[in-house]
Amino acid sequence: MTALRITGGAVHDPANGIDGDVRDICIDAGRIVAEVPKSATTIDARGMVVMPGGVDMHSHVASGSVNLARRLLPEEHDRDPMRAPALADGELSRSGTGGTVPSTFTTGYRYAGLGYTTVFDAAVAPLTARLSHAEFDDTPIVDGGFFVLMGNDEYLLRQIDAGERDRAREYAAWLLGAAGGYAIKIVNPGGIERWKQGARDRTDLDTAIGATSVTPRKILETLVDAGNALGLPHAAHIHCNNLGVPGNVATTVGSMRAVAGRRAHFTHLQFHSYAAAAGKGGGWRSGARDVVEYVNAHPEVSGDVGQVMFGAATTITADSPVEYMLHKSSGRKWINVDLELETGCGIVPHMYQGKAAVSALQWVVGLELFLLSADPWQMVLSTDHPNGGSFLSYPELIRLLMDRAYRDEQLKRVNQKWLAGSALADGIAREYTLNEIAIVTRAGPARLLGLRAKGHLGAGADADVTVYVPDADRSKMFATPRYVVKGGTLVVEEGQLRRAPAGRRLHVRPAYDNAVTRDLKRFFDDHSTVSFENYPVGTLRDAPAAIDGERGAGR
Amino acid sequence: MTAHVTCLGCGCACDDIEIVTSDSRIVGATNACELGVRWFGDGRVPTRSAMGGRPAKRHEVLDAAAALLRQALRPLVYLAPDLSCEAQQEAVGIADALGAALDSATSLTAMPSILAAQERGRAGATLGEIRRRADVVALWNVDPLVRYPRYLSRYLPDSPGRTFIRVDVDAIDEVPTLTALAAIVAGQVRQESGAGAAWDRARDLAPRLLAGRYVTIVADAESDDASPRDPGRAGALISLAQALNGPTRAALSLLRGGGNRSGGDAVMTWQTGYPAAVDFSRGHPRYQPHDGTAASRFARGDVDALLVVGAAAQIPPALLAPMSRVPRVLIGPAVSDSALEAGQPPAMLIDTGIAGIHDGGTVMRMDDVPLPLRPSLAGPPSTAGIVRALADLIRPGRQAAAR
Repeated sequence: MTALRITGGAVHDPANGIDGDVRDICIDAGRIVAEVPKSATTIDARGMVVMPGGVDMHSHVASGSVNLARRLLPEEHDRDPMRAPALADGELSRSGTGGTVPSTFTTGYRYAGLGYTTVFDAAVAPLTARLSHAEFDDTPIVDGGFFVLMGNDEYLLRQIDAGERDRAREYAAWLLGAAGGYAIKIVNPGGIERWKQGARDRTDLDTAIGATSVTPRKILETLVDAGNALGLPHAAHIHCNNLGVPGNVATTVGSMRAVAGRRAHFTHLQFHSYAAAAGKGGGWRSGARDVVEYVNAHPEVSGDVGQVMFGAATTITADSPVEYMLHKSSGRKWINVDLELETGCGIVPHMYQGKAAVSALQWVVGLELFLLSADPWQMVLSTDHPNGGSFLSYPELIRLLMDRAYRDEQLKRVNQKWLAGSALADGIAREYTLNEIAIVTRAGPARLLGLRAKGHLGAGADADVTVYVPDADRSKMFATPRYVVKGGTLVVEEGQLRRAPAGRRLHVRPAYDNAVTRDLKRFFDDHSTVSFENYPVGTLRDAPAAIDGERGAGR
Repeated sequence: MTAHVTCLGCGCACDDIEIVTSDSRIVGATNACELGVRWFGDGRVPTRSAMGGRPAKRHEVLDAAAALLRQALRPLVYLAPDLSCEAQQEAVGIADALGAALDSATSLTAMPSILAAQERGRAGATLGEIRRRADVVALWNVDPLVRYPRYLSRYLPDSPGRTFIRVDVDAIDEVPTLTALAAIVAGQVRQESGAGAAWDRARDLAPRLLAGRYVTIVADAESDDASPRDPGRAGALISLAQALNGPTRAALSLLRGGGNRSGGDAVMTWQTGYPAAVDFSRGHPRYQPHDGTAASRFARGDVDALLVVGAAAQIPPALLAPMSRVPRVLIGPAVSDSALEAGQPPAMLIDTGIAGIHDGGTVMRMDDVPLPLRPSLAGPPSTAGIVRALADLIRPGRQAAAR
């Protein structure tokens, strides 16, 4: 790892207040530094745009569910083979297959080829955490981590039912370390457990879970408070109840109110921002205004969009009752796996079509969330890959945000059935600037994740840097970066992938009260098919991320 | 004593075994079933390395093996059982580097259920979920006690609220019965509509299944040479389990054999996109589940060099004769004692440790739940380590790339 100077580029480093200033970025020993010797290798970035490496805070790339989806899709892989890239100096590379759920090596190469250097898998059942780590081990270049599913966890629900919120918090701390995960994830709180029990009706914030006193509201409160009390770098990451249901905007705003005043992240809000049309015939309407109105007024809340992009997608979620409904309505092949004591898994391939009323409405809702949000630091970019579309569609999404004429042209082509009265149909003039794109694709997600060395180019940051060649077609510009540096290694040179260093694992290991493990051991003996001793993944190669405060001692 | 040991005797992967050793031998396997006790044995394995019919040093064998495989035009890499996922990862990497064909024991055993699931999806559950919720259990043409001795006691023990239905259907009637059942369950037909034994049986079974709040259908995904099966069987089982999720909840539990077979499927899937029968000859993975399996390649004479990784003794018998006739490299537990050791030309071989007895790492239970291995004995070198050494010779440019 030699010293490197990226010289003459227009730097977009919004975390440090730099908006297109021409300046040099210096790199040594994998970090951004103030200065390097004249002998350092120089990259001439004159006329180019320099940003931190991309940070995807919500994707599905390394989990038991993702691997089941991979196995489900041989026809997609067959259409999109990828040869092993020719790397510099004869470095080993691997072939693979793409489609909406690429093989692991291809996932790493393609993310890096897009200028992304950090990726989080948003939904891992701790029971299968070993598998996620193994998949990340085979996903080169990008630094990776995952969120741990807790919103339907049997032990946690029992603690809430018993009023043992402190123990619930200590359990969350233990579970994060046991799984080697990074953040608390909540998916359809209580609703997956109800699906396992055979319930088919809606799960609302105050619906009782089975015969217990537990409600989604209590699950949200408990886990949001736990994440904040533990001082975790990222807030509890919440996928609300009633995903994909017209009228669910009330559930979504209700969930935000349930944890009002507390740091919380609400994910793929597009899927949760639908109003129901009044009157006979029903139908869907955009509820984006209601969600944005709340978010704009509450800086402690953040979100990512989960934009739908037209084309092939694969829906992969722990929210298994949703997949049952999708399978019933689309007739596409369907996987359901109920995971013991923890969560569910549902998978259905899907095609978003502009000519279809629902797809068009979803596309509009996502764009409205982007365009109506006042603060890009609060509402960042995702397609919930591969649920709303592949990560390969990010450049097209960026074009939609930056180019009003193009966006309006696309809008005309989609099914108008449910768009009347929507903000986008009424006309939104806003065009994202390059700095705003830098915020929603790297600086914002990094800040929300608490990744202090990511998403910016100040001294001491990880040397993850992407250099683009400006193009009026923003889709083209962002699809093919000229240079990508990961941890100080030049991985993309002249638009070609040239090196593929291993990525690091991003995880936390908060301290916890040992009393919880004594109780847990009994619980495992009574209910789990995996020995308590075999459950934790053990020590990971990379050190855990720092946690402020007393929980930061680590174990 | 080593506690919480995972047994790979069958796909149950019971992880509550206590291994007692004495004088470098296993002398006790507490909690293990008979099959498990047999699988652990006394833990003594050969540590030979040989080529040309005589002993040779490991590095000499590896050099010769790398040369053989690199020169081959139609190499085949074959994953036999008793490997950790880590060893499987390395072996798939060799196949990629060689542009080889890649297959595993799955293609001759559980392939129909994989293909059916690729077409339809599936409705499943992990074993603990079944244990917790199943109130109606249909044992579909299987007595788990025979090949999966602890399956019932660990994952579906008798309990007051649990009803077992033992379904024994002639192979020829399986698919018609399942199809009729699925149609009745889905409400697609009037129950009285069909005639014949299959419909009679389906009419009897349907209400008994539908009485359950969480139905579990247990069937064996591994082939059983004694009773050839209808190729549509796996798909019909999946369709029934999916249909039951309309009126009630249901999961299909497909039984898989031992030696981390499920792990091999998973590793191949994440590295290539496909679970078995992969061909790298065009520089990228291609899926050839019908004419690209090891068996069909040997039938065509389409293999000129073979790398077997894993316990050669557990390779399906149909493959042993053709395998023993090609130039071959054997890396795995007790390969020097296997049927593949003999034959012309003589094998290049290195004995390694057994995953779960001598080798650590990760394995997958039949329901794709990953578990750690806790080796109880020191022994021959680890399979993953030897395969990695071979990989380094095959791709000399290798750096710290993937890991």
